[in-house]
Amino acid sequence: MSRFFYAKLAATNLKKNAQTYLPYILTCIGTVMMYYIMVFLSKNEGLGNMAGGSDMQTILSLGSYVIAIFATIFLFYTHSFLIKRRKKEFGLFNILGMEKKHISKVLMFETLYVAVISLGAGLLGGILFSKLIFMVLLKILHFEVPLGFSVSGPALAAVPLLFTGIFLLTLLNTLRQIHLAKPVELLKGGQTGEKEPKTKWPLVMIGTLSLGGGYYISLTTQSPLAALAQFFIAVILVMVGTYCLFTAGSIAVLKLLRRNKGYYYQTRHFTAVAGMMYRMKQNAVGLANICIMATAVLVMVSTTVSLYIGMEDVLRTRYPQNIMITTPVPAHQSAEGLQTAVHEVLAQHRLEGKDMLDYRYAAFAGNQEGDTVITDESKMSNASSSVRQFYVIPLEDYNRLTNRTASLGDNEIMIYSSRNVYKEDTLTVLNRTFTVKERLDSFFENSLDRVLIMGNYYIVVKDIAVVKAMEKAQAEENGYDPSGYQYYLGFDLDANEADISAVYQDIRTAVGSDYPDSRIESPVAAKASFFAIYGGLFFLGIFLGALFIMATVLIIYYKQVSEGYDDKARFEIMQKVGMSREEVKDSIRSQVLTVFFLPLVTAGIHIAFAFPIITKLLAVLNLTNVGLFAWCTAGTILVFALFYAIVYRLTAKVYYRIVSWGTSA
Amino acid sequence: MTILEVNNLKKVYTTRFGGSHVQALSNVSFSVEQGEYVAIMGESGSGKTTLLNILASLDKPTSGEVLLKGERLSTIKEKEISAFRRENLGFVFQDFNLLDTFSLQDNIFLPLVLSGKSYEEMSRRLQPIARKLGIGDILAKYPYEVSGGQKQRCAVARALITSPQLILADEPTGSLDSQAAEGLLRLFKEINQDGQTLLMVTHSVKAASHAKRVLFIKDGEVFHQLYKAGMSDEAMYQKISDTLTTMATGGARHE
Repeated sequence: MSRFFYAKLAATNLKKNAQTYLPYILTCIGTVMMYYIMVFLSKNEGLGNMAGGSDMQTILSLGSYVIAIFATIFLFYTHSFLIKRRKKEFGLFNILGMEKKHISKVLMFETLYVAVISLGAGLLGGILFSKLIFMVLLKILHFEVPLGFSVSGPALAAVPLLFTGIFLLTLLNTLRQIHLAKPVELLKGGQTGEKEPKTKWPLVMIGTLSLGGGYYISLTTQSPLAALAQFFIAVILVMVGTYCLFTAGSIAVLKLLRRNKGYYYQTRHFTAVAGMMYRMKQNAVGLANICIMATAVLVMVSTTVSLYIGMEDVLRTRYPQNIMITTPVPAHQSAEGLQTAVHEVLAQHRLEGKDMLDYRYAAFAGNQEGDTVITDESKMSNASSSVRQFYVIPLEDYNRLTNRTASLGDNEIMIYSSRNVYKEDTLTVLNRTFTVKERLDSFFENSLDRVLIMGNYYIVVKDIAVVKAMEKAQAEENGYDPSGYQYYLGFDLDANEADISAVYQDIRTAVGSDYPDSRIESPVAAKASFFAIYGGLFFLGIFLGALFIMATVLIIYYKQVSEGYDDKARFEIMQKVGMSREEVKDSIRSQVLTVFFLPLVTAGIHIAFAFPIITKLLAVLNLTNVGLFAWCTAGTILVFALFYAIVYRLTAKVYYRIVSWGTSA
Repeated sequence: MTILEVNNLKKVYTTRFGGSHVQALSNVSFSVEQGEYVAIMGESGSGKTTLLNILASLDKPTSGEVLLKGERLSTIKEKEISAFRRENLGFVFQDFNLLDTFSLQDNIFLPLVLSGKSYEEMSRRLQPIARKLGIGDILAKYPYEVSGGQKQRCAVARALITSPQLILADEPTGSLDSQAAEGLLRLFKEINQDGQTLLMVTHSVKAASHAKRVLFIKDGEVFHQLYKAGMSDEAMYQKISDTLTTMATGGARHE
């Protein structure tokens, strides 16, 4: 009989606490579904066999780890909230004669129910939805949608493993709390922590400094290469800053306001300041969580969306011409064979190359120190912001492509840079010293510098002999096989993608034998892998964004509910002391609004400050369209704010129902 | 001068869907003169709290009227009622009703802040009251840091600071130990001697015995009343006890 008793009691408890348990169970189900789908996609064999599919599966499996970690932290956090609300109930059981081991038994049953429901419904939902999500993903990637329906074995194994672990963890934590507490403490469980918060100035200082530091990094980082490394430092600094300022900073500000008697003792400010102080103490960490999550959603969604939308731009930046051939030309060979081969292929296809562009050059990297360049790779530092890419081009090609008739002496150069300014009068590189004859303020369109990370210099020298000499010196210094020089040939085609693709394939076969080291590229050929990577990121951004939003919704809901219970009593007292019902309502509403929109506004500020550094990161990914990114960011913020507002309105109803329960109208 | 006049008050509670009616007050009439100290007694469910809520304009009577200094409460507009309550009535509750989010001083200031008074005026008003109630050195503390008696004295200070026409006290000694209760009752007496009109609803014979007049309510009606006149607290205590016994055993009504 007794076994059934506990099982029944557990079921009744869940039913009785439906208002808080239902959202929790729904979130568990949602998280199980999302995790299943993510594992399903990252392990799906069909997807892996598609072009670029494996790149994307790497991204997706990364996503599944993120979900796993996030689910653990998040479900643990919400569950501890649930238990906090129920401590009084446990205390009552205890006092009515149930021993702690009996309570533990009830709790075990409850956890079992929640686990079975969540896993059952979650897996079922996951299996049903996985096909839909799969199709959406393929649509995003512009892949063919295969027919058929499959259930993923690895996912079916991984999901119960993870979530059983999570549920066990929450159960153990609850049992630990119950066992440590005395019944009287349990009875008062819901009411602890009413003391006035202290101002923690050191935390305020740390918060201000780290937030400022994070913002400073974002605003001042110039080179995209440095941005890559510093972005994470900035993120951590901003996170630390957010936590410190939400917890300690808010209290400090409110206390300062309170000290100002003229301000504090005004009808509108009086209840607001005191009320906010209390709320911030209770909610600071939760709000900081919401803020950071909101920021993460916004950054993730806006960047991935703009990358996906801007993919054509990206392709164009990365591949400025339809067909691009780059090849090292050995010392004993010339580039003529290549030109002939390309023209033959074009003739076969009855096509003509438009904007035909070809030039010879040498390329190497080095650390610029004043007027000297260190090219020895063993002495170079890659992380340094003085890394420059050098492109050496013969005068003959330069004059031809710019229609100029400039002339240069033996050791004279012309120099151009698209990202920095060369201020010195001489340039010493590879044991030669050149005199700068002219600083160019424009250069012919080329596709040399496509990575857009480092500073660059285009150097025009007297003739091909100098180019060859420099290529040789550079190769010898670093122990490479020297080649004569590099050659680039590129052009556009007035044809559809299929024709361009055919030309591309034919040129590959025609050129490949004579120039085995040649690199032949075309945006058409790269498109699939670009779609795979950027589409995968886009998908992941939206998917994780949805997960984070779900979490935010749940946290907001729980905050509203707990605020509601706390406010109920205060609401009544204030009315008795002489505030009208409307005044009380207004005052509470404005405080609740402040509390819930504070994270959103802060997230907006974070995004604004992060904008410069993210633009640089996107440049690394070849997206230079800042306008597009700005629009995507604004759009994401708007959609998120709208969503947030809707959630707020819906949960506010629950809140007012709790607050006005039992107060006679 | 009559401060409070209650005429033929009736209150019927109807359940949400109009199913059943419960008559909390059937016909209550009495009046309170300036400077009086009146206690209202009755058993649980006799309608005491309902009466107090109506006097406090927190609730509306089904019929009958309440006049405060000759003004009908029912004619005051909904918007002005809070301000009216703030300016004319002071409240002392059984469970103190202090807000944990404010220091004791700020709790006492609350009604004045709501009326838009300046800080200087508020602290000027507070000083004599704090001295009288002996709470001067705990003003900076928070409600959860002080004892029940101290909390109740702060609640009294909050009621006094607006210099109200009438102080309404709902079981003010209900949550206090006997010593603190004794102190509070002495305090009420002093305040009353200074000219403050008091109306107290209570269960406690001890508390009622301090009042100048005791009204007994039974089944929603004023059943009986006692004047203290020259009697000592002890004699009054005895008399109230006798009356309660009579009421409980169903004695006939007499004046």
